[in-house]
Amino acid sequence: MRLRIGVLVVLALLALLIPPLGGDYYVHLFALVFTNVILAASLRPSLTCGQLNIGHSAFMSIGAYASALLAKNLAVPFEISMLCGAVLAAAVGLAIGYPSLRLRGVYFAMVTVAFVEVIRLIAQLWVPLTRGMSGLSGIPKPNLLGVTLATKASQYYLALALMLLTLLILWKLESSRLGLIWKSIGMADNLAQSLGVNIANHKLLAFMLGCFFAGVAGAFYAHFIRFLFPPEFGFLMATNILVYNYVGGRGHFAGPIVGAVFLSLLSEPFRGNAYETIFFSIAMLLTILFLPGGLITLPGKLAGLRWRKAPAALSPGATA
Amino acid sequence: MTPDLLIQSTIIGLSIGSIYILMALGLTLMFGMMHIINFAHGAIYMLGAFAIYYIFFQGGVPYFAAFVLAMILLGTFGYLIERSIYRPIKGGIEPTLVALLALTTFLQAAGYPIFGQLDKHVPPVFQGTRNVLGVMVSVERLMIIPMAGALVVGLYLFINKTKMGAAMRAIEQDKEAAALQGVDVHAVNGLAFAIGFALAAASGALMAPIFKLDPMMGEQPLLKAFIIIILGGLGSIPGAILGGLMLGLIDSIVATALGAEPAFLLSFVFIILVLLFKPTGLFGYAP
Repeated sequence: MRLRIGVLVVLALLALLIPPLGGDYYVHLFALVFTNVILAASLRPSLTCGQLNIGHSAFMSIGAYASALLAKNLAVPFEISMLCGAVLAAAVGLAIGYPSLRLRGVYFAMVTVAFVEVIRLIAQLWVPLTRGMSGLSGIPKPNLLGVTLATKASQYYLALALMLLTLLILWKLESSRLGLIWKSIGMADNLAQSLGVNIANHKLLAFMLGCFFAGVAGAFYAHFIRFLFPPEFGFLMATNILVYNYVGGRGHFAGPIVGAVFLSLLSEPFRGNAYETIFFSIAMLLTILFLPGGLITLPGKLAGLRWRKAPAALSPGATA
Repeated sequence: MTPDLLIQSTIIGLSIGSIYILMALGLTLMFGMMHIINFAHGAIYMLGAFAIYYIFFQGGVPYFAAFVLAMILLGTFGYLIERSIYRPIKGGIEPTLVALLALTTFLQAAGYPIFGQLDKHVPPVFQGTRNVLGVMVSVERLMIIPMAGALVVGLYLFINKTKMGAAMRAIEQDKEAAALQGVDVHAVNGLAFAIGFALAAASGALMAPIFKLDPMMGEQPLLKAFIIIILGGLGSIPGAILGGLMLGLIDSIVATALGAEPAFLLSFVFIILVLLFKPTGLFGYAP
């Protein structure tokens, strides 16, 4: 436990030191990595319930567009526009989740896939509001308590704070009674139901919670990049968020965080070309086939290997 | 909308509907037996279309031979996927879905470096137009209906009249009981993968002369097939056929009147309503 806290403190210090030590490139890169961490971690409650949400990017898109439009057209401060975006994403999640979550998981998976396309089309076709395929530009920089965060470094700290806050809330929820209920639904929903858990409502709650934080990530993204383009929030981004969870590992809260950081940094050289997706899909297939527990189980497995090898290495000496 | 336009879009709707039915049948067959949704179906449709491009157009093989060859090649690929992905995961539904999703994005992304960035076109196979009920329809589109119809009838006969088909129905009802009766579940699942992939390849091969070819071309038909099987009820073959015809008609008539995108949005709203009021689909039964 002490080791774990030590690791966290070191990581936090490193995160604080990136803007003064690294250049603008790293500040920008890591702010986006933190956004990915929020997205990955916010998918976890739904996945824990055994619900495959393959449309998370749609809710990010809703948060992004809502917050950007409120700030740009009505000069709403960032804190409020971000909350509105997140609440709207959660409300849309309710509308999509209510009909589809009562059934088998595959229905939900198919509805979420189709929903990504629905949101992309709406963003593309509602030209007077979203500017469609010309892209929405001129989004104001984020502000806090009336002060505009003009520098990339200050926006980086905002991303860091949002990520830590999101992780804290999700961690508290997961380690509470609610987290146990989610796990029980994911393991055996019939059994959970027979013990009095209202599984439909809990699945819905977990899903809406994820939508809310995807909206938060989207709002930050909108005010950080300051340009929104409908196809960005497509099927590929949605699968990437899923990949972070699987490659990182499903068994522990740290899984999506490790997955998002590891894959975002490792795929950086290919960002924006076809090889990025090839890289992601191969990482995903290899993980599912050969490391089903994800990267977080890797240290344990390696330790197991060493432990098994050590006596073998000693044995020749012992016989001699 | 004039009556002529209505007749024309109905016929086009029927031909698009036949493609959707082929896609949806493979999906629903695989779902019925293994309780998985084959997310790679759209990518296989794309590969079927590219197989026609390379074998028929570039290779000069006659269209029907190329068509059968595309189905055999991708059917074999389906069998190999069952061996290398589905079987090692040992029936875990969620990991299988995610692995199939990864396979999809891999095939799509790898398509760009392999097939090139530019859209490809296959020249028309059937020339000319024909007068149907007073409107002119291209033979190319008309021919899709009997060819898809033949495949659907063939599948129906296979499932209902052969021993292998009986094994498939047995697995659909109860996998363990089927295994106890001596059904080789692995082999039959592999066959279902092969049939599903071959049907998706056939859809792509039928559409290749009509649409432009690019690695993402399978995404739309895949989403349409999802809507159909939600509409018709998962695992229901009559549901997939009726749902496919309905969606093909909605697609063609609404798209002619309002445009393709509103037609898609409308069909999504429609399935959400179906899920709200008749969760097992229009023709489905409670699982």
